[in-house]
Amino acid sequence: MAWQQKILRVNLSTGSCDIEALNMEWADAYLGSRGLGSKYLYEEMDPAADALSAENKIIFATGPLTGTMASTGGRYTVITKGPLTGAIACSNSGGKFGAELKLAGYDLLIIEGEAAKPVYLHIENEKVEICDAGEIWGQTVWATEDILAAKYRDPLMRFAGIGQAGETLCRYACVVNDKHRAAGRSGVGAVMGAKKIKTIAVRGTAGVRNADPKKFFSVVNEVNARMNDREGMSRDGTLAMMDVTNSFGSLPTRNNRSVRFEGADKLNPEAMHSPNANGHTNIITNGACFGCTIGCGRICKIDPTHFSVKDRPEYHGASGGLEYETAYALGSACGVDDIDAATFAGFLCNEYGMDPISLGGTIAAAMELFDIGAIDEKTTGGIKLEFGNAEALCAIAELTGKGEGFGADIAMGSKRMCEKYGHPDLSMTVKGQEFAAYDGRSMQGMGLAYATSNRGACHLRADPYGHDFETTEIEGKAKIVAETQRDTAFLDASGLCLFPGGCGWGLEDYRALVDAACEGDWSSAERMHETGERIWNLEKLFNLKAGLGKKDDTLPKRILKEPADVGTGKGLVCKLDEMLPEYYAINGWDAQGVPTKDTLSRLGIE
Amino acid sequence: MEVSVTLFGGLRHYLPAGSSFNRCSIELDDGSSLESLLQKIQLPADKPYMVIVNDTKVAGDQFGEITIRSDDQVVLLPPIKGG
Repeated sequence: MAWQQKILRVNLSTGSCDIEALNMEWADAYLGSRGLGSKYLYEEMDPAADALSAENKIIFATGPLTGTMASTGGRYTVITKGPLTGAIACSNSGGKFGAELKLAGYDLLIIEGEAAKPVYLHIENEKVEICDAGEIWGQTVWATEDILAAKYRDPLMRFAGIGQAGETLCRYACVVNDKHRAAGRSGVGAVMGAKKIKTIAVRGTAGVRNADPKKFFSVVNEVNARMNDREGMSRDGTLAMMDVTNSFGSLPTRNNRSVRFEGADKLNPEAMHSPNANGHTNIITNGACFGCTIGCGRICKIDPTHFSVKDRPEYHGASGGLEYETAYALGSACGVDDIDAATFAGFLCNEYGMDPISLGGTIAAAMELFDIGAIDEKTTGGIKLEFGNAEALCAIAELTGKGEGFGADIAMGSKRMCEKYGHPDLSMTVKGQEFAAYDGRSMQGMGLAYATSNRGACHLRADPYGHDFETTEIEGKAKIVAETQRDTAFLDASGLCLFPGGCGWGLEDYRALVDAACEGDWSSAERMHETGERIWNLEKLFNLKAGLGKKDDTLPKRILKEPADVGTGKGLVCKLDEMLPEYYAINGWDAQGVPTKDTLSRLGIE
Repeated sequence: MEVSVTLFGGLRHYLPAGSSFNRCSIELDDGSSLESLLQKIQLPADKPYMVIVNDTKVAGDQFGEITIRSDDQVVLLPPIKGG
């Protein structure tokens, strides 16, 4: 039995902390993590409630494989209603916090209500206390962890919490765990900020059991042997993608004005691994999350003579460096080719608790507003917010983290900010969430995946990569997007990471691990597809009840009307209107994108 | 003639000795095809990749029909997923 079969429910309004039995019927239908957390959220809250109100709940959910010896079994998901999108938010993270929460004995931690004054949660197995956070409120993520680590003096205590961005309700504040891993997207950190809960400190020694340990160990060894293509990911991390998209012509550049960045070779793996003129090399080593045998994390240092950290020795140490999405958002999206500046802005995201994709996407939109004269230096407080200005990037990132000056506008996210300044079309978002690092014109499947993602634009809700790099023709893409959205939902629900899928594992390897760990027969592809489809439809229902609909399954005008300027997709716009009806039909949804009664009945949802 | 080829991601493992970080020069007879160029690089048969020549992706069944010139930009990319 890989589930702990226990939920910890904390009500911040009443101060109660209760341990409840996990609903095993729901676990059987939704597996865990993203799936099970979404089920609890759907059943327990009104999706129409304000994301920043006490009515919203925030759920930290582990999967059945979280905390086990399965490779990458350290994932957890934060599920809530997203302040950035008004849609369901399910933001996934690695590091070591998720495993520790599971080892403390819990499948889910459900936090509800809101505290009268700032608090933090301290969990040591069944001992749970809501503590006064007066000492740490107003501190960064990093300082908070250092202060509490010194207080509890337990090197294995893990933390997941917010920085000042969460406290000031930045719409894309994230929950940061282990100092530089994050449940990054959709503003889950702002929900913690609204509830006045600063961090969760957890230590667990309960262990994780499973149905047949001997079989489980055997399967773990079998599938680990098949993870035989991981060297590239260990050495270059996800940043390897930058050369691929830049060559292909799908690297969003200057707020998607272009799909190729002339400065990509100053941000790519070669740049990260090569000494600069001062002999400084950006990357120090790679890093891995709990139980991971890949190690895609980048551990980097900024050149101490760089303008961003000169005379600021607190930033001279090693910390989480640029992944592909961060390098895009804080690099090509803003036209910035300074790897140290982008690394510094990335450090600030971890320190203050901001999603780097949305931060970079919003700064890029602000740079375009500045470029067309919709805002000026008076608006920005004297910052020349021009494309390519690395100093401006760093300055505005720091202001945003603190919620000060023009940073308060950047903290709105690009949709609200572009509406405020009269140019809503310049926001490169879906459902209010900024694009990831792929352009939906040269990668048509990704365009459809962005438009239909339940949590707003996202590169991790479907897997159209192979087909998109194969052809720009749209035939077959609706089916690929629909099917991989389901499979990805299942993988997220397991407690494992998606990246073994790019390092040698097939879906059958994930299934074998789930089947070996959990009671019941999880070995069939049919059950995997159905479980994933059930999760996807439930998330869709949440959004419909929250007021979202077909009007929100769309893309910005730029992607639908302005052709890509260079590369394989030169001259193309995203043919969303041609793909969307087929996508709805494949899902068993009506022409408005609403699941039919037959579909819901087949999946046992309503 | 000499043609510059760039191998990105894990493909750069297979660069000839003495190559730079991810680039090499391949000696080819004038009028050689892309197929001939790829044969000289000798990537393992089980290593999938895609090829871009001068900004345009080339379909696998066209490798023998594309003639390579000395100033062509040839890029080999591994299949990769996002993150």
